[in-house]
Amino acid sequence: MLSNFSRELRFLAKDRGALFWLLLAFVLSVISVTFGVAEVRDQQQTIAELINEDKADRANALEGQEDWGGAAYYAFHLTYAPPSDFAFAAMGQRDSSPWKHRVRMLALEGQIQESDTKNADFGLVGRFDFAFLAASVAPLLLILLLYDLRAAERTARRHDLLVSTAGSSGKLWFPRALVRVATLSSLLLIPLWTASAMEGTSLGNIGQASLILIGALLVWWLIVELVSRIDASPSVLLTALIGLWLALAIVIPALSKFAIEARHPLPNGGEILLLQRETVNDAWDMPKEATMDAFLEGHPEWRDYATIEQLFEWKWYYAFQQLGDVKAASLVDQYRSARLARDDAAQLVAFLSPTSFVERSFEKLAGTDAASMIAYEDAVREFHAQLRAFHYPMLFKGDPFDRELLEGLPAFAPPS
Amino acid sequence: MSMIFRIAKEEWRLWLRSKVIVAATLIVAILLAATSILTVDRVASEQSQRLAQQVTAEETFFAQPDRHPHRMVHYGHYAFRPPPPLAAFEPGVDAVTGQSIFLEGHRQNTPMFADTKAAADLGGFAALTPANLYQLLLPLLLIILGHALLLRERESGTLAVILAQGRSGLSLAAGKAVALLAVIVLFMLPLTALAIYAIAQGETVLAAASLVGGYFLYLSIWGAIVLAASIILKQRAVSLGALIFIWLFAALIVPRFAINASSAAIDAPGKIESDLVMLAEQRKLGDGHNAADPAFLRLQKEVLEQYDVEKVEDLPINWRGVVASYSEAELTDLLNSYAENRMEQEASQSDIFNLFGLVSPTIAVGSVSRTLAGTDLATHHRFLRESEALRFDFVQSLNAVHANELSYADDLNRSSDPEAERRTRVNSEAWRVLDEFRFAPDSASDRVDRSAFPFAMLFIWLVLATAITFFAARRVRV
Repeated sequence: MLSNFSRELRFLAKDRGALFWLLLAFVLSVISVTFGVAEVRDQQQTIAELINEDKADRANALEGQEDWGGAAYYAFHLTYAPPSDFAFAAMGQRDSSPWKHRVRMLALEGQIQESDTKNADFGLVGRFDFAFLAASVAPLLLILLLYDLRAAERTARRHDLLVSTAGSSGKLWFPRALVRVATLSSLLLIPLWTASAMEGTSLGNIGQASLILIGALLVWWLIVELVSRIDASPSVLLTALIGLWLALAIVIPALSKFAIEARHPLPNGGEILLLQRETVNDAWDMPKEATMDAFLEGHPEWRDYATIEQLFEWKWYYAFQQLGDVKAASLVDQYRSARLARDDAAQLVAFLSPTSFVERSFEKLAGTDAASMIAYEDAVREFHAQLRAFHYPMLFKGDPFDRELLEGLPAFAPPS
Repeated sequence: MSMIFRIAKEEWRLWLRSKVIVAATLIVAILLAATSILTVDRVASEQSQRLAQQVTAEETFFAQPDRHPHRMVHYGHYAFRPPPPLAAFEPGVDAVTGQSIFLEGHRQNTPMFADTKAAADLGGFAALTPANLYQLLLPLLLIILGHALLLRERESGTLAVILAQGRSGLSLAAGKAVALLAVIVLFMLPLTALAIYAIAQGETVLAAASLVGGYFLYLSIWGAIVLAASIILKQRAVSLGALIFIWLFAALIVPRFAINASSAAIDAPGKIESDLVMLAEQRKLGDGHNAADPAFLRLQKEVLEQYDVEKVEDLPINWRGVVASYSEAELTDLLNSYAENRMEQEASQSDIFNLFGLVSPTIAVGSVSRTLAGTDLATHHRFLRESEALRFDFVQSLNAVHANELSYADDLNRSSDPEAERRTRVNSEAWRVLDEFRFAPDSASDRVDRSAFPFAMLFIWLVLATAITFFAARRVRV
């Protein structure tokens, strides 16, 4: 058996076409992880700078304040989702969903929907990351490496002779194909492992990612193997395989995406903002008791402090800000659960398409999938709730302003 | 000449007899029809929806009750970007950028609710549009059809016969080229139909015809590459493999590589980053809500001198309104300088990206396509600029109302009692200062001008590919 493999390795070393595809795979893998690592470093640096600037800016904003309401109004707080130790391999949703916000005590819905995304052309075309390489390009390279193993011998009229010499067809083709699949996987994985070592990726993630890639290549190998048993010319086989690739990588995902999105419609995002906005604005013209009564339904603990005597009081102002969020909450919830439902459906459909499956699995490992981005948004909501919980006692009890107490402002902790 | 057509006809006869080719063509045709219908439908409904939202936003603004004008500054307004007619073929950056923007005093917001953020994530190519099919799938179909155009004659031995009959390799290649060109023309029909639909929707003939022309050039480039490979390479499988490699490279790898490269070459900071830098400068401008801010002392002196009075109380206009107007103008200058800077950086990133059109015709045609359709980054930037102009306009008009129609004394004491508060409410007729906003992309000639560079790259590609085919065909030997 071993001699079979060493013989096939020697054959491979002389097959210039195969060497070209293998070298290409290696170069592309190096490029993809290099870009990925650079992007992750850039995002980390951005976050580090933002944390400092945000702190300085808040100190600056709080300096001239003389009451609790003003301090809450002018102080912004940075929230962010740092890239994970595996994000370099799959940027996923980080290019289309925001991963940083600055929020303050006002109604949250108007703030959390802001998206500080990059150049729109980037989101349109997509990045060349390892997940894309592994999911879409690697299968094509594998097809090009394997499609004519049999057919080439057939064309050269050596096929029957070779099979009878080897004893069985399996003994001949299996080692030949295995050597190619194994070489391709290792050339793809070596750069990934190197980058993982640099980024301190957990062994569990590396192991899973490697298994996913190898598994996907094995599936494609099986497909190639089945197709190439057809007694047809190499070019017909290649055409059929490319057609299969197209169906699995483009047609099925696109049709499924269309069906999923039609099945799980989203509430119009604009409606959320409009509703929140109108609620907040109407409050100015409504009797103050109406606002405070509605507010007390959710916060009965402030009943004794909720009388508004002046024409303008901060606690009334923040109460109607919160009511804006409360009013929009059911739409927001629909929006969130529709996104999750779409993601769940996509997870199921991905079993039909190896390319979607690989890309989604990598994003999941990297924490750049839709669920992770929603988890970040949840963390921002949680933080905003903490801000309210911090400020309400001061606003309602009317304690004298004390800048020292602002030291205790909640700090955002990114989701892990 | 008749010989050329005879060769072409023979080629078509062979294609029609091949099950693989007929099946592949049918699948592509069905996909093309299905995505076209779906995209036309989606874009048409988005178009009417956003127009309706724009009208509703205006009506709601006008319908606001009497109140203090500054409250209307914070109440704000919305601008919507309806898709242009050709978006039915090329939706462009719309799905990534979001299409509505909230406009309010003292702030520049970002557009919201991009489709991609909430889309079902199924990997790289799941967003199928007619433009994507033309860019990715049709070249592949041409490869499958044409990789053996001349090779087949070589393999079956007919090449020797034809050459021996005194026909040149050139006329043989010309015949094959005509056959392939006929396929390309056939596949231009769906695009032409979409272009006619867009014209019926109000698009100009110039833009629509240029778009059809751009894709015709693109597919012709692929036709020439395919023909050249079938002449130069000696084995069917090698020709197919090499062409698939070229496709893989041009259609999949280079565009994404170019994105990474251009984002690495120019670091365009995000909005939060540049906002934080800007805030430090903004503080120096003073807070427009606070007329006593020392930042406005010089303005106060000037205005007092202009009206020849001693105190702000004696001014015939409302000092607080003057401050609001002055500080909004100053702030907008600052905001715009940062916004312009960000947009310029994005535009130069995209310029670098477009330069990769020299390596991949897919990039060049994508850029032609988005520009002509009016769904490119530059059009998005124009939307941002125009909606900002709308914002500044209504905010300043309201500030003028604030300065001219409210007395300073009332304004100053508005929080003292409900009666004083009522005196600071302005009749809601004043909200009519808001302009109607209907976003339309650049004029067709501007878009055509802007697409000149990627068009030039497509021409270079076509000339090169044709030249290679020509010289290879001249040297055809058995």
